[in-house]
Amino acid sequence: MVELKQVSLPCQPEPISAPILEVRNLTVRAGKRVILQNVSLAIRPNQVFGLIGPSGAGKSTLLKCLNRLAELTPGLQVTGDVLYHGRSIFDRSVDPDHLRTRIGTLFQQPVVFPRSIYQNVIFGIKHVGDIPRRQRMEVAAMALTEAALWDEVKDRLDEPAQRLSVGQQQRLCLARTLASSPEVVLMDEPTSALDPKSTTAIEELIVRLKSNRTVVLVTHNIPQARRVADWLACICVTDNVGQMVETSCCDQMLTSPQCQAVVEYLKHSQG
Amino acid sequence: MRKLFDATFFTLTLLCAVTACGVLLLLVSAILFKGFPALSWHFLTEQIRLVGAEGGIFYNLVGTLILIGTALLVAAPIATGLALTHSVYLRNHRAKRSLELLLFTLNGVPSILFGIFGLIVFVKFLGWGKSWLAGGILLGVMILPTVTVALLERIRMIPRKYIEAAAGLGLSQSQIVRSIILPQSIGGLVTGSLLGLARAAGETAPIMFTATVFAGAALPQSVKESPVLSLPYHIFILAQDSFDPAITTKLWGSAAVLLALVCVLSLIALPLRLKIHEEAQHG
Repeated sequence: MVELKQVSLPCQPEPISAPILEVRNLTVRAGKRVILQNVSLAIRPNQVFGLIGPSGAGKSTLLKCLNRLAELTPGLQVTGDVLYHGRSIFDRSVDPDHLRTRIGTLFQQPVVFPRSIYQNVIFGIKHVGDIPRRQRMEVAAMALTEAALWDEVKDRLDEPAQRLSVGQQQRLCLARTLASSPEVVLMDEPTSALDPKSTTAIEELIVRLKSNRTVVLVTHNIPQARRVADWLACICVTDNVGQMVETSCCDQMLTSPQCQAVVEYLKHSQG
Repeated sequence: MRKLFDATFFTLTLLCAVTACGVLLLLVSAILFKGFPALSWHFLTEQIRLVGAEGGIFYNLVGTLILIGTALLVAAPIATGLALTHSVYLRNHRAKRSLELLLFTLNGVPSILFGIFGLIVFVKFLGWGKSWLAGGILLGVMILPTVTVALLERIRMIPRKYIEAAAGLGLSQSQIVRSIILPQSIGGLVTGSLLGLARAAGETAPIMFTATVFAGAALPQSVKESPVLSLPYHIFILAQDSFDPAITTKLWGSAAVLLALVCVLSLIALPLRLKIHEEAQHG
């Protein structure tokens, strides 16, 4: 059994602001099987935090723990802690539904509801929050603009959302998430189902989102991580259990990884 | 040898299909052939006269519609609650299985038992006498499994990603039920109800002691002692007097009307069912 150290190296410039999200000794079990073990990491505001690592290592599961979406999957037990602004998200006083409006999610496959484009954008704010009815249109327009979709759909907001291309659907989903103005956006391989053009659009968006939000991005695509991420954490399977093996700034991780598992992973994923 | 087996098997299955269709066709054509002479506008709009030998079946038709309408009002909300309990709120697998078992058992209860139960509870214990409400409730409970199972099937087909996406936007469970699960499964409720009602419309046993009389009733004015006329009970009574040719014609006419009612209910359900299958295939 190889003992792997969790390596955390100082990078330049080192982020100094207090973390917006902090994961402490997070362990996730499905029945008796351990999916993730003892993951600890700190995500600082206004950065793109990339989670990389081989398939099945538990990156998506980790992401789902950050806004308690994992609770919806029956049989998952989460131990350890996640702090949001220094406060545990598992605290009794925290309403998970409200938490998810602050920490939004963008899924791997775009999930549009069988409704119009407009109804999709306002789906979240219609049910949650206190945005008056007459301001919904305004919020929808802003969210669609932020998601770089406004020009393409402004004349056909009443059309069914399924008529959009997959790339447009993914941006629509992003707009829907942004409409509830979350502080953090969790993205689970948001471009893996998209063509190169839409991928570029989403990547540009991620970089732009950084100015006023924090993004946690799960990606398989190392060039993508290089293009958009500021900080990376690598989750690898060690002893059949997903563990965080290394975290450092993007350049350092990709040019001179310290951990053998990361070296192996990068070698494989870059061919 | 294997080809022979294949051919035999094919012939046998074909034979089964032909038999089923043949019986149905025979039944329908016999009823239409014998009932057709009785059918007329007056038959549908006139009251019963001369112990069924004259007049029409207007209030029988109305009574049956009242009964199945009440059954729908009883079954639909309870079925919705049951289906949501099963698929949303119950997390324990054993509890889910027990609920399913309960539904299947209820589905297997012979309809005459519903009649006896109604007689004891509504007619005697609650002192309603024969009442349209008692019949409606009994028919509603009887079709409950059909409606619930149809609804459950539909809820099961809702893509999980919708529910996750809605939860990811911060919707609470009850909001997800209202905005995703109910709108997406309403088709199941409609088709299940129509199929259930098609069955309820023809039931005699649950209503004969509890809700319906042969003659002397029109529109119910209250709950207690307010029976209705109904098509299946009308047919049942006429069949016992079928030596009179005038009555026999009316009997077949009533049967044809009941059959048409049931067919209409099933046919309304058909396009909805097809649409749902199509949606399921296209994801």
